Amino acid sequence: MPKASIVVPAYNVAATLAETLRALLRQTFDDYEIVLVDDGSTDATAAIAAPFEGARFRIVSQSNRGLAGARNSGIAAARGDYIGFCDSDDLWHPAKLERHVRHLDSRPDVGVSFSGSAMIDETGKPLGLSQRPMLRGIDAAHIFRRNPVGNGSAPVIRRAALDAIAWRPAGEYTRDWWFDETFRQSEDIECWLRMALTTDWSFEGIPGDLTLYRINSGGLSASTEAQLRAWERLVEKLSPLAPGFFARHTPAARAYQLRYLCRRAISDGDATAAGRLAKHSLLSSRRPLWEEPAKSATTLAAALVLGGLGSDRFHSLRAALGKRGLPTNETS
Amino acid sequence: MPAKTIVHLVDDTTAGGVTRVIDFMLASPEMAGLGRHRVVVVPRGRFSAPALDDDIIVSHLSVSWRNLPQLVALRARYADRTLIHVEHSYTAAFTGLKVRHRPRFFALLRTAYSLFDRLVAVSEAQGRWLSERGLVRREALAVIPSCVDLAPFLRMPPRYGTPRVIGAIGRFDEQKGFDILIRAFRETRNPDIRLHLIGDGADRVALEALAAGDDRISFQSFSPDPASVMSKLDLIAMPSRWEAYGLVALEARAAGRPLLVSRVDGLEDHVAAGARAVSSNTVESWREAIARAVEAGPALHIGTARAREEAQRRQRETPRLWNALIDGARGATSRDAA
Repeated sequence: MPKASIVVPAYNVAATLAETLRALLRQTFDDYEIVLVDDGSTDATAAIAAPFEGARFRIVSQSNRGLAGARNSGIAAARGDYIGFCDSDDLWHPAKLERHVRHLDSRPDVGVSFSGSAMIDETGKPLGLSQRPMLRGIDAAHIFRRNPVGNGSAPVIRRAALDAIAWRPAGEYTRDWWFDETFRQSEDIECWLRMALTTDWSFEGIPGDLTLYRINSGGLSASTEAQLRAWERLVEKLSPLAPGFFARHTPAARAYQLRYLCRRAISDGDATAAGRLAKHSLLSSRRPLWEEPAKSATTLAAALVLGGLGSDRFHSLRAALGKRGLPTNETS
Repeated sequence: MPAKTIVHLVDDTTAGGVTRVIDFMLASPEMAGLGRHRVVVVPRGRFSAPALDDDIIVSHLSVSWRNLPQLVALRARYADRTLIHVEHSYTAAFTGLKVRHRPRFFALLRTAYSLFDRLVAVSEAQGRWLSERGLVRREALAVIPSCVDLAPFLRMPPRYGTPRVIGAIGRFDEQKGFDILIRAFRETRNPDIRLHLIGDGADRVALEALAAGDDRISFQSFSPDPASVMSKLDLIAMPSRWEAYGLVALEARAAGRPLLVSRVDGLEDHVAAGARAVSSNTVESWREAIARAVEAGPALHIGTARAREEAQRRQRETPRLWNALIDGARGATSRDAA
């Protein structure tokens, strides 16, 4: 039995998969396996993955179930005590697994170990931007507001912590669910928050940008409205678990979520949506303003400037200023 | 040798379940074989220990920073006596939901438990948690699931067949999760089934508001005769958010009632003994679980019958486990349970 497993969900990722797998095979920690879940790809994904198959690399194929369904099949097939996740367009730093294993070994109360991420573009070039989440002292309210885990390629999770939230919905006969497969967006935060609220496993980060997280200029395919709907459905689903918690923390968490969607709308050049989202974020809670004044102010200013200048001139301005500081397609 | 004397210390705020467990210890002839039991009520938050001349001191006190001086005083005053603590409250799910600063909370528990010779977990699941989190030394830990007098429940004819009346019994409080159950039940469309909520508490008005408009749902107060309440129910539902053990689950098993429980803490013990687990404590899962249990009907029999037998065995085991604990603790050389 390997000590750790890395689950790689893959759906039509012929362009990036090989680079992702090569990075995962270069890990300095030795006792691990890779479980690639080909989630019904229709491109060359399977052909690219096949030559990698070997002692530490297995392929699970299924008809398309979505990201949550692919991750769940990976968890079901994984044999390690620790399970890491790497989306098939992201890259892991060679020492990432080793550092998370050391962290989880030394901290038996930590269920989810995560790290910061550095952003790369489609060609793999660093964008000079990082996700540097809070690493310690994380409670459920912080997870709800700021999702410090950040992206789907950041965490390495203890099997026992995953199994504490496993369930088998009606009509599922083959394996458990850990991520909720009825979600097409917000599946990560739904899972983390459910774990934080229903178990006593801790979330803790380790220093370093150990994940290289790829930003696609096309952005996510989902509209900001669809993302907001998924997020609101998460709140609706989990609220009965802890009504007091959600009554207290939903306004601020919603303000952060709206601010994030506003930044996405800005980077997509959608002035109408950006203006509306900025306004709703402010109305939901002022908390982002005093917790993260610089980022909130930049977002509001950018939404206003975009509204005033129009998309074309805004993007020329942004190009002239360089990307630093201005909203881009990040994850929080 | 004269019979040993055993004193049980309880808070003035001790919950009803703890009182019933101690009543059982005092009344059961098998437990009387261990020695002479008595109960002393001590106020919370005192800085001194009461005068006691008993051989064995069993604390059922609540552990908090405020109550810690009293526990320290107890250890100091009775340095040569056997001190046992029974942890009736804290669990993994409680910690997840209610504790904001976990390192501080775990430090409290380690400190408090270290004052006792032995620590009793009231369920296997709680015992696993205490030892996995390193809150107690493994050799100081004993698991003795809580027990009450099950005789009136074991006498009842079992309920086999299609369940119609679903019961939920307990305090109307966040812990019990009856709000989840009401929401889920309302989403079931079956006109033949009923939900009876039996209990009282701060959340009564909120729960009644949640149930308003669905006349399949009704409320009753606690009864002095829990067995007669149980006899009118076909299936017991426990959607608890946390639960150190779950005496109602034990009673339901003893009564031969099918039992649905959320998969938290001590309720896992009942699943292992034959109860049906509702795998995630969401409205959706409960709606499905209720619908499936009603459809399954006779298919519930085997689990229910096994759960009943296990409850009977539990009742027989309890005095034996206490006996082993007290005998073992007398010979123990270590004073440190953490």
